[in-house]
Amino acid sequence: MDIRIAPQMSVMDKLKILGDAAKYDVSCSSSGSFRKNDGQGIGNTVAAGLCHSFAADGRCVSLLKILFTNECIYDCRYCVNRCSNDVPRASFTPDEVCELTMEFYRRNYIEGLFLSSGILYSPNYTMELICETVHRLRTLHRFQGYIHIKAIPGADPLLIQRAGYLADRMSVNLEMATAEGLRAVAPNKHRKNILKPMRQIQNGITENRNEITLYKHAPHFCEAGQSTQMVIGALPESDYQIMSVAESLYDKFSLKRVYYSAFVNVNEEKDLPALAGGPPLLREHRLYQADWLLRFYDFKVDELLTADRPNFNTAIDPKADWAVRHLECFPVEINRADYHLLLRIPGVGVKSARRIVAARRFGSLTFDDLKKIGVVLKRALYFITCNGKMMYPTKLEEQYIVRNLTYQNQMGRGERLPFMADGTTYRQMSLFDMAGFDDVRKVVSI
Amino acid sequence: MEEKYLICEDSLEGIFTGIYDAYALREGHKHVHIQVGEEENLRLFATYMHILPDPVKTEKVADTLKERLGEHAYHSLCRAAASCYPDKGEAVYKTVVDALTAGSGSRVMENLRNPYVARCFELARFTANEAHFEIEFLRFQELADSETAKGGVLFARIGPKNNVIPFIMPHFADRLSIENFMVYDENRKLFGVHPAREEWYLVTAGDAFVLKDPVYSEKEEGYQELFRAFHRTIGIRSRENRKLQRQMCAYRYQDYMVEFQQKG
Repeated sequence: MDIRIAPQMSVMDKLKILGDAAKYDVSCSSSGSFRKNDGQGIGNTVAAGLCHSFAADGRCVSLLKILFTNECIYDCRYCVNRCSNDVPRASFTPDEVCELTMEFYRRNYIEGLFLSSGILYSPNYTMELICETVHRLRTLHRFQGYIHIKAIPGADPLLIQRAGYLADRMSVNLEMATAEGLRAVAPNKHRKNILKPMRQIQNGITENRNEITLYKHAPHFCEAGQSTQMVIGALPESDYQIMSVAESLYDKFSLKRVYYSAFVNVNEEKDLPALAGGPPLLREHRLYQADWLLRFYDFKVDELLTADRPNFNTAIDPKADWAVRHLECFPVEINRADYHLLLRIPGVGVKSARRIVAARRFGSLTFDDLKKIGVVLKRALYFITCNGKMMYPTKLEEQYIVRNLTYQNQMGRGERLPFMADGTTYRQMSLFDMAGFDDVRKVVSI
Repeated sequence: MEEKYLICEDSLEGIFTGIYDAYALREGHKHVHIQVGEEENLRLFATYMHILPDPVKTEKVADTLKERLGEHAYHSLCRAAASCYPDKGEAVYKTVVDALTAGSGSRVMENLRNPYVARCFELARFTANEAHFEIEFLRFQELADSETAKGGVLFARIGPKNNVIPFIMPHFADRLSIENFMVYDENRKLFGVHPAREEWYLVTAGDAFVLKDPVYSEKEEGYQELFRAFHRTIGIRSRENRKLQRQMCAYRYQDYMVEFQQKG
């Protein structure tokens, strides 16, 4: 095997190629880890995470997200770096990665390093390179900021363990929601090989937690947990399938986050969907909303979707959708209902629910108070009473509420979507693009 | 009864001294008000008293608040006092009254039914959010060596609405403990200075101060160029969404960020 690394390539060219190659990895968070500086080097980590910039697509730039190399022996059909693609190839040296990270970090450009890689020669060889780089960053440069490492499926468990002690977070990408789907698009990857390191990391974290209870200064293993990502819309999986997989990953693998990535057909692969309207952003958005409901609002997937109704309503968000189908639970009396019931009201989030519970100790709350607390009244008003009274006379009727909620959307006063209502981004909309209007009309006539 | 207005300096010291004097009047709190900065429209049938900031009184108020309200509520009050809105003095004062006199104590910030507490909460949240954004978005640039400081002094310029420097310095002092760095607030002519491995402190530059264009180190431009390139590359073209970008990172921050300055 010959080495195709071009040694004369400048760091600038490498950064362009390897930053470009890493951009489809969604994970950006720098949260979950809290570490003070020890006075010997630079860096600390903040529990909530920090986003240092926002790219042109509105996604946050928190970490220096790069591939170590985009050389790859695999041929996954959705991936821009597959071996059959003719794209410029580059590889960093460990020193170059360290220098970039340190200099970017001290200028407050980034929160740390996200290091992934194409598979160079073998999973073990690649994983060793990654470990070596991060080890140098941690020991030689005494870097104490956030590090996210990709576990390479198929690499030796010992290497994965070594990486875990160097990183704050690790991730293995599930890629496709179903095992059959993965087989169809990634001939060299197997579901089994992906779940194995995931389980190993999970066990490592649990053991480490016990160790730390016993020995306060025991080294930390993946303090910020692990995450994964799934590609959405490349294969005909339903939202129900995707969310069920996510739920079991949270329950059985104790993942911190599951990311969903709207499919972009980078290779213009003819067997995969062309998606003329751009990536399925609205669908991705609904999945993230549902994901939040699972993690912070005590919802179960089976409450949101069923085998007969396998996809989310595009017109209203999953929580409002659940609420209008369970009108027997409403209206909720703000001054009495317990925290968990408050969380189920559309327009009331985790923060406002907590504030309501705290503020009503001092006396009963009015709609005016709720506004100050941060409740989105235009959505909540159909579902709540304050001291037995509703805000306006409204009907507790599915059709009526849906019509009102979506009418607000049309007037631009309803749900705030990060893009236009039909799923196109702001940029893609033009005056002559009337497709969006048809969709809205369909919604209104439900 | 006659309304009394205590006019205080626009600072934490000023407001706390005002609160001390308001309590010292022993006239209840209904007709006593705190106003920050200059008096504007004078009212009929009201007395105005000018209060000079006093470190001893400030200390006493701060100690009492810390003890009776706890660190959490105390910090909320400090953040509200750093706000750019002139009604902050009154909001902080009446919130303290709610905590100490009406008895909500350490839970005072939860009593959002009280309009002053709600306002104080809002102001504190604005300052906290802005401090958080500055922690994320401020950009250090490496200065060239000078005779007094050799190499690698980091310098950041910010233009926040609220006085956030006291809230962002502890973060950077921990993170960059081994670096010499400075943060400069253009709107207040205020420096936060951190010498390597030492405590940070504030320096007020005075109204006449004009910042000279700093001279940056040789490598500085190169790293800025690298980060600009990275920032351009990382965006996915088919998802381009400038409106979302602007929502997440407002223009007033972008003005100070190297990756949004077009060069070359």
